[in-house]
Amino acid sequence: MEDVLLKTEKLCKTFRQGRLETPVLFDIDMKIKRGEFVAIMGSSGCGKSTLMHILGLMLKSSSGRVIIDGLDTSALDDNRRARLRRDKIGFVFQRFNLLPTLNAYQNIAVAERIRGHCIDGQIWRALEAVQMTDKKQYKPGQLSIGQQQRIAIARAISHQPEIIMADEPTGNLDSSNSERILNLFSQIHRQQGITIVMITHSLTAAQWADRIIQIKDGRIVDH
Amino acid sequence: MLILALSNLTHRKVRTCLSILAVAISITLLLVLVGLSHGTLNEISQRMQSVEAEIIVRDRHFDLGSMSGGKLWEKEIEQILQLKIGTNPTVERVIPVFLGRMKLGGLSQNVFGVHPEDFSYFAGNRRILEGYLFTDIESPAQALARLESPNNPQTINYLPLLIDKRLSNAARLNVGDTTTFGDTMAQITGIVETGVAGRVFAPINMLRAANGISAKTAHLFFVKAGNNLNTDQLQQLCDEIETKTRRSANLVANYGQVLEQNFQNLTIFVGLVSVIALVICFLFILVTMHTIVLERSKEIAIIQSLGAARSMIMIQTIQEALIICILGCIIGIVMSFGAKWLIETYQPLMTVEMRLHWLLLAVLIGVVGGVLSALVPGYMALRRDPVEVLSFE
Ligand SMILES: Nc1ncnc2c1ncn2[C@@H]1O[C@H](COP(=O)(O)OP(=O)(O)OP(=O)(O)O)[C@@H](O)[C@H]1O
Ligand SMILES: [Mg+2]
Repeated sequence: MEDVLLKTEKLCKTFRQGRLETPVLFDIDMKIKRGEFVAIMGSSGCGKSTLMHILGLMLKSSSGRVIIDGLDTSALDDNRRARLRRDKIGFVFQRFNLLPTLNAYQNIAVAERIRGHCIDGQIWRALEAVQMTDKKQYKPGQLSIGQQQRIAIARAISHQPEIIMADEPTGNLDSSNSERILNLFSQIHRQQGITIVMITHSLTAAQWADRIIQIKDGRIVDH
Repeated sequence: MLILALSNLTHRKVRTCLSILAVAISITLLLVLVGLSHGTLNEISQRMQSVEAEIIVRDRHFDLGSMSGGKLWEKEIEQILQLKIGTNPTVERVIPVFLGRMKLGGLSQNVFGVHPEDFSYFAGNRRILEGYLFTDIESPAQALARLESPNNPQTINYLPLLIDKRLSNAARLNVGDTTTFGDTMAQITGIVETGVAGRVFAPINMLRAANGISAKTAHLFFVKAGNNLNTDQLQQLCDEIETKTRRSANLVANYGQVLEQNFQNLTIFVGLVSVIALVICFLFILVTMHTIVLERSKEIAIIQSLGAARSMIMIQTIQEALIICILGCIIGIVMSFGAKWLIETYQPLMTVEMRLHWLLLAVLIGVVGGVLSALVPGYMALRRDPVEVLSFE
């Protein structure tokens, strides 16, 4: 039996603002196995980020189900969803989203504290994994963008999540920095067995993944 | 997440300091206003209680605030002296006080006109530090006649005044200094230890005359009852005096309460001003917290993406407000003691009282207000959609 970590069933999303309705996702059925590295590709505006936010429990679907590790999340309240996100998911964003007033170490420590434990060793291991131990006292503004993204990755992996969701993690980076980040993902994936879902529109980036899911106009076209 | 709250507060130091200052100032205002009104009333009531008498009698229309209004007649003293509780002779002495008003030491002062032979009831064991106790003229009519013919060489043409040490220090008045009481010359003839009922004493008949009164009127009677009366009997005596003379009589021990009732308007006013100060202060915190929250909506969204529950974000907002409020309270308390010192140094006749439970209450108000004023911004922070904030800001 295959070990499915993340599964969606007939997932639909329509944004509503007053009377304005924007349908974005239609009947998304997908399965991601534990330990898989999946890239999601598609043209701009096709709904990739929306899908990732729903998978990461930041956004609620309009209909259909998201099942994480066998648990149907559609019935859960906000607090349960936040807890599940905290324990199983790590986000990496295109714009890093580090806290500007805290240094690198503190940024990871805050995430750890939200998760209820702040273990120095874990933070160190995460910083080591992204080769940033020497910059732990630097605030985001004092780091290069490539370094900022590495800190963001360290923050996402420090608690050893089941799954990392990355939305265009190399979108703001030049090619050499991109390669370094992708290498890092692949290393994390291989060494720690963390499942990775990465959104990208670069084919070069997508080729690092085990599998590519194509989305077109809110529907999966090929997998 | 104290670390986040602290880093936010230190990130915008000026704003944080201003908010703390706003809390501190309103706490100071609150403590000083309450302390000043209570302290001053309390000091008056304590001085009244220093009189060696148990009951204070005044006309029903006499106003303790302005120390003016209905008068008593010295002949009523006889009626009171005859009162009996049981069979014992009850009243030992009735001490009339005629009140006048004059400006000394920059403040309007009540002058206690008393018979020189009654002064020992006011002084108790307090000594006359300098000068001597005044003498009086037998009747106000005679005194009036003398005051009105200043060219007569036999005239005592000034009003002798005995003041307390605190007023002497505050107004820098010494024995021999002259001043005026209305049109009448007045001279400081003695200084008594602080703590006596009045700050200024004068011979009763001469004070009456200086007010143009030739009749034996008074404003207050202090009634010294026999030593063997208990509180119930004293209360009974009060009632007897009230029915007999149709005046109002209170136990001196209750004078503080009577005073507070009389100054209820003042207390309400002070309370109102303090509440307004507090409301403005907490509106200020509310606005500050609101801008902090708005400015930080991205940060809040990030924290949510890391899995922070709503309660955690609320707690963090409250923590920030609490830090501001608690620091503000502490500084406010320090500032109040500073203000107390300033007031009592430069306006020595005012008393600012600080009671421990007021300080605790101020801290409590600060803390509760801080939490309340963080709730609205905290709630608004939670209403924003984190996905939207992360994608578009
Ligand atoms: N909050 C929202 N309200 C209304 N419409 C929205 C909202 N968020 C996204 N959309 C719409 O949903 C569609 C998909 O957006 P989404 O961000 O998922 O695209 P994407 O595939 O990530 O694009 P890109 O590659 O440019 O990042 C877009 O047309 C967008 O306008
Ligand atoms: Mg996108």
